[in-house]
Amino acid sequence: MLIIALLKGVPARTTQVAQIGGVLNREVMDLVLNPHDSKAIEAADFLKRRIGGKIIALTMGPDMKLIPLMKPLYDAEVMGVDEEYVLSDKKMAGADTWATAYAVSLGAKKVLEMHTAPIDEMAETIRKSGYSDAVKAKAAALYQANLLPNRVYSELPSVRDSIVQRFLKGAITVEQAVGELAKVKETLSRFIIVSGIKTTDGETGSVGPQVAEGVSELIGKILPHATYVEDFDIDDAATKVVSERRIGQLLQKLEMMLPALLTISTEYEPRESPAALQPEVRYNNYRGKILQAKKWTAEDLAADVQKLGLAGSPTIVGTGIDVGKPPIQKSLNHSLVFLKLVPQIEFEGKKYGPFEKGQLVTDIPEGLSTRFKKDGSVGVFGYDMLGEELFG
Amino acid sequence: MTYEAKDVWVYLQYNEGVLTKDSLETLAAGRRVADKMKQKVVGILLGEGVEPLAEQAVQYGADEILYVDSPAFRAYFNLRYIDAIFAMVKERRPYAFLFAANELGKDLAARIAYRAVTGLATDNVQLEVEDYTNPALGSFKDLLVQIRPDFGTRLARIYTPRHRPQMATVRPGNFTPLQPDPKRKGKLREFEFEDHDYPARVKEVVELPPPELDLSGADVVISLGLGILKDGSGHPRNPREAYRLAEQLRDAIQGKYHMKAVIGASRALVYAEIKELEGLVSKANQVGQTGTTVSPKLYFALGISGALQHRVGMLRSGKVVAVNTDPNAPIFKIAHYPIVGDLYEEFPKLIEMVGRTGHAN
Repeated sequence: MLIIALLKGVPARTTQVAQIGGVLNREVMDLVLNPHDSKAIEAADFLKRRIGGKIIALTMGPDMKLIPLMKPLYDAEVMGVDEEYVLSDKKMAGADTWATAYAVSLGAKKVLEMHTAPIDEMAETIRKSGYSDAVKAKAAALYQANLLPNRVYSELPSVRDSIVQRFLKGAITVEQAVGELAKVKETLSRFIIVSGIKTTDGETGSVGPQVAEGVSELIGKILPHATYVEDFDIDDAATKVVSERRIGQLLQKLEMMLPALLTISTEYEPRESPAALQPEVRYNNYRGKILQAKKWTAEDLAADVQKLGLAGSPTIVGTGIDVGKPPIQKSLNHSLVFLKLVPQIEFEGKKYGPFEKGQLVTDIPEGLSTRFKKDGSVGVFGYDMLGEELFG
Repeated sequence: MTYEAKDVWVYLQYNEGVLTKDSLETLAAGRRVADKMKQKVVGILLGEGVEPLAEQAVQYGADEILYVDSPAFRAYFNLRYIDAIFAMVKERRPYAFLFAANELGKDLAARIAYRAVTGLATDNVQLEVEDYTNPALGSFKDLLVQIRPDFGTRLARIYTPRHRPQMATVRPGNFTPLQPDPKRKGKLREFEFEDHDYPARVKEVVELPPPELDLSGADVVISLGLGILKDGSGHPRNPREAYRLAEQLRDAIQGKYHMKAVIGASRALVYAEIKELEGLVSKANQVGQTGTTVSPKLYFALGISGALQHRVGMLRSGKVVAVNTDPNAPIFKIAHYPIVGDLYEEFPKLIEMVGRTGHAN
């Protein structure tokens, strides 16, 4: 099965955030993988152990920054992502969640087509060339390119009965081979997309559900989505997932036919995967990993550039606002306040007051202030006064 | 969808026949912007037997309720709800559309915004209405100004000038529900929605026990930060000591003034996963952008430096008392009562103060 993990590079430090007109400039900042994305990778790992297939990481941003960032995600031989694609183009810069979801949806569609097209190619070759070396050559080339699952063709010693191998041995007819390939293609169309619940920079949590919508529109099929998934499982045939998600004080079990999209909660812990399914997992797996991330531009995605980046973003970020107006402050053991109600008073020909209890001593001539201090009308703001103001 | 777009829509959530607090706050937000634009507030209700809810919504500020009443909408199921709401949007073309920024509101709003090809500003802490001019796009009258925490150090203004509706989610705890007015009258309008099959279904819904800690509903929040790890002279202290003191302060306030007091924490303290605080401080205590937004009458920030992410979560507190050794701590910018000093010295004095103060009721 195709497992697409949506990942994002976010600024490493809040102190070093570079902005151009309200839009983050990721090219000049140190980036780290969005911390929430590690749960998406755990979920993807679980799916690959359980069903087999391939984990494809999809990200968007400056490729020069993101490719090194994603390198460690290949992890060990049996874990981590298998392939990485970076949507990188100046035209995609400054995207809000809508324009991001549009580009990422195109990326997901491209991943799908990239894996279904070779199945069609194999069927076409078998139909045209019959029991010939051309079939083997085609299969071997696509297998090396990591584009055919072991079920279709394999050079693993443990897999001797792939479709192409059985066909070349004469065990199945052209029609049977083409029929089996059509089934594989159908299986691939039941892909799954996982992402973190949100990113630590935008904090919107919108892109996941928006990609579900974007992909639905692009492939003409409704992709269900579930956000904040704390637990999920998939059936052996990999046709549906049942996810558990929290909505306020409700825990909802949502069953979704595949393809579907899940955003994975920080509460998620992967389930065990039954060992009995291992042979099936091997059939669904691909040759291995492609350790060099690939860049996809707007042109590679055949994107409508009007819908990309800043130009394609419905929202505009305006000027910022400083948080919190300084209130009238009374600093403990520091501020001078009136300790009691003081009626209006004349001092050096001017009228002052009346002053309320607790009022800060401001705009009073020094002589008057000294007088107030002496007669105990004014003093330092202490705990007694604080207690009265808080609870009085 | 630019032309003739009108009205401010508010998506209404409910629980056991009562509109949720988040919904009432969102209604208040909708009322505020609608009044500024001289437009109507339309409440959007989906469910089965929603009429009593519609009446509540009118009392709390809605002018009109657009609803779907059908057994198919008994339980929340995102795809069906999204289809119905999108059908409403397409037919009626609202000017602005507000949702509560909780799991359900965000689940709906994001996908609807994508389908409607419009912007979505999430987690707004304030909403304004202003004319807006952008050199590249032109001038716009009475635009919704969506104000949300920025990644940097400030709040950001987000505009959706060219697309309708202008969609926003409103962070719970930032608007005060209006006083219900039983005499208010509103129009109820049923919306016909043609149901169909979906490649998903709700298998089960389990109600979880109410949270033990109700941060957002508390009168007094006593929040602890990483500052509790050391005293004023920099010597390490057992943070459990500070927690016990916080409990004493909480119990003293509750006992004497019958105010609901709870213990909160900064993100830094929660994420530090301190052994001594195991089982005492968790994510449930976290105040701030990624935790809970609180608006108590009284907020204590004890050993909290007050990063923006924390401040946006407690900005609307009535009175803020902050204790910190560092006179330049950002928390002091918004504290009504700054106390520069050693937490471990000031804490007992605060507790003593509560005991001493009169006017108990």
